[in-house]
Amino acid sequence: MLSRRVAIVFGAGNLLAAVLLFVGVFVALPARWWPVDSGAAVLIGLELVSGVALLANGRLARRLAVVAAAVALALGMAVVTTLALTASWLAGVYGPVGRGGALILVLVSALALPYFVVWPAIQLVWMPPGRQP
Amino acid sequence: MDAARATAMTLRVLTWTLLVWAGVTGLACFAVSRAFALRADGASGRIVASVWSHGQIIARAVVTDAAEPAPALDAALASNPGATRVDERIVGEGPVVTRPIAALPMSLVPGRDGLEVTLDGRTEYLTPDELLARQAYDRGINVAALGLTAGLDAELALAILAERFGVPVTGLLDRAKVRRFRVLRSIPGASPPRVITAETMTDEDVRSGAIAAGRFLARGVDAEGRFRYLVDAPTNRTLSGYDWPRHAGATYFLAQVAALLDDARINWATLRAASQLRDHAMVECGDNRCIGSDRIVDVGSTALAVIAFAEIAKTKLDPAYSLVVPGLTAFLRAQQRSDGEFMHEYDRSERRRIDVQFLYYSGEAALALSRAHSLLHDPADLDAARRALARLVGPGWSFFGSRYYFGEEHWTCQATDDLWDRAPNAQALDFCLRWQAFGHKLQYEAGETPFDAEGAYGLGPLLTPRLTPVGSRSEAGIATLDAARRAGSPASELSTLELQMRSSLALLLRHQFRPGLRHLLVEPDAVEGAMPASEVDWQLRIDFAQHTGSALVRWLSLGR
Repeated sequence: MLSRRVAIVFGAGNLLAAVLLFVGVFVALPARWWPVDSGAAVLIGLELVSGVALLANGRLARRLAVVAAAVALALGMAVVTTLALTASWLAGVYGPVGRGGALILVLVSALALPYFVVWPAIQLVWMPPGRQP
Repeated sequence: MDAARATAMTLRVLTWTLLVWAGVTGLACFAVSRAFALRADGASGRIVASVWSHGQIIARAVVTDAAEPAPALDAALASNPGATRVDERIVGEGPVVTRPIAALPMSLVPGRDGLEVTLDGRTEYLTPDELLARQAYDRGINVAALGLTAGLDAELALAILAERFGVPVTGLLDRAKVRRFRVLRSIPGASPPRVITAETMTDEDVRSGAIAAGRFLARGVDAEGRFRYLVDAPTNRTLSGYDWPRHAGATYFLAQVAALLDDARINWATLRAASQLRDHAMVECGDNRCIGSDRIVDVGSTALAVIAFAEIAKTKLDPAYSLVVPGLTAFLRAQQRSDGEFMHEYDRSERRRIDVQFLYYSGEAALALSRAHSLLHDPADLDAARRALARLVGPGWSFFGSRYYFGEEHWTCQATDDLWDRAPNAQALDFCLRWQAFGHKLQYEAGETPFDAEGAYGLGPLLTPRLTPVGSRSEAGIATLDAARRAGSPASELSTLELQMRSSLALLLRHQFRPGLRHLLVEPDAVEGAMPASEVDWQLRIDFAQHTGSALVRWLSLGR
């Protein structure tokens, strides 16, 4: 069973991830594109609901957190893979992306990885089957 | 099994999942990169030979050897005196992504790659020359918020191909096989042009480049003194739009060339452009005079007009222009806040200053006041210029991260140099040296991109480097070099900056239309000396030639 302290940390972390994703996609990105926007919207919703449920010690909090973490991990891995494949395609077309391009790609990955790969992975490992918050 | 049991994960499973993911992604990246790289196969070695006349293809043949007989080409050359045969030899091919359609624009390297389309057993080549002549590169994806355009105009390219095949555009991509190909261009019988590099560039190259840019602008000044503000180079069409700050800046550069050359046509064009400012654009702004035509006017137009008028008076092209400077500098000083910053707009109806700030204007005003002081020795101008510069390089650019990020400070650094002998500002020189060092980090070296970009600025190979920032940063860099020499900066710092400038100027000279790819232009003589926006964007705005030309003139006046 998750301790109250861990539930609060996970809840706050999920809310932070939701805010970061909202700012990153709906404020920072200069154009709207439905595949990105809808994926982000779904994940923001899950992170918000699970975060609030964990903080409120709700009955379905653990299940919601597991679902949110699984979806975040899947989408996060998909995004990083897509970025890497896009960079590889561009490198095939244009030649090596160079120091500047590589730096930008590494920075983008570094922004996405902690919140949408590492964080949900920690949650999934920390919440083994059957445990309740 | 409940949902929680189905989705929760053990550490072992997670580790394996991540390891497999990373491995598969790495392999996939390698495969994708290899698959889309150019390789010599299929059509490689073939030559797409075209005969061009006045910017249009009038005959084409695909041959395997330049010496292979091509009667259609010979006939076209014989019946069109002045036509040019151009050979585009295919040196590599690769696949393109046509789905999603947004991927197609980014599948071609601008200016280097064309499209090879096969439909029902027939192959058509849309070559880089054709795409350049139709200005199809860097028109595909527009990110307005960032002011970026990139990629092929796929809609235009497909329309050309559909017309050539005689089929509708719709469904063309579904039925056709599409590949990209890279070419090497040559003109049979013509010797390859000399390539100007940082190492080979001479002062004569620089001087003739500056004069050619000046002549291009001068040819575009009409009887009333207005420039051809924006020109589409391939068709030589004048496009819409006008802007007083850029008119004034172009007039300033013409005055610089007039002093360099003393050519009657350039002198006359300079004075017509200046009189357009003085007699038609100078209006009442409260108790002072300013440049503009609308109710709301900006500081930039007046500042650049002062710089132009001061140059015309200083070089004795028409000393009477010194008489109109004080009224304009009074306006600039009236717009200055107590902290040195300028209020960039003025409402003429309400006689009210508007405290907003835009790019460039404060630096322009600082330089204008400095130039006015050099000409007329009014201490109020010097004091205002000094305070403006102190603000620009001090509190005006002081925030967390300001050491790692810079705006476009070309006017600021020209003001730093201009003021150095009368009001030296070591902080400003340090600022400009740091800005140039920042630029040095972003400056492309040879072979770093698929483009001819050595000396340009940018990040990564995807965006075709823009040439105007190279021109404006060179103006500033040469000014900084000049001031740094007088300040006794270390020789190593100076030599790095000098090489950086040589590299940029050589790039600008390589891309100047002298004569450029004449066969792609309807009227090549009309755009001789012009500066394009980039290697593939051939819209010619007056400030492109101005920034490049002013940088070249500065280089000539630098005491080396």
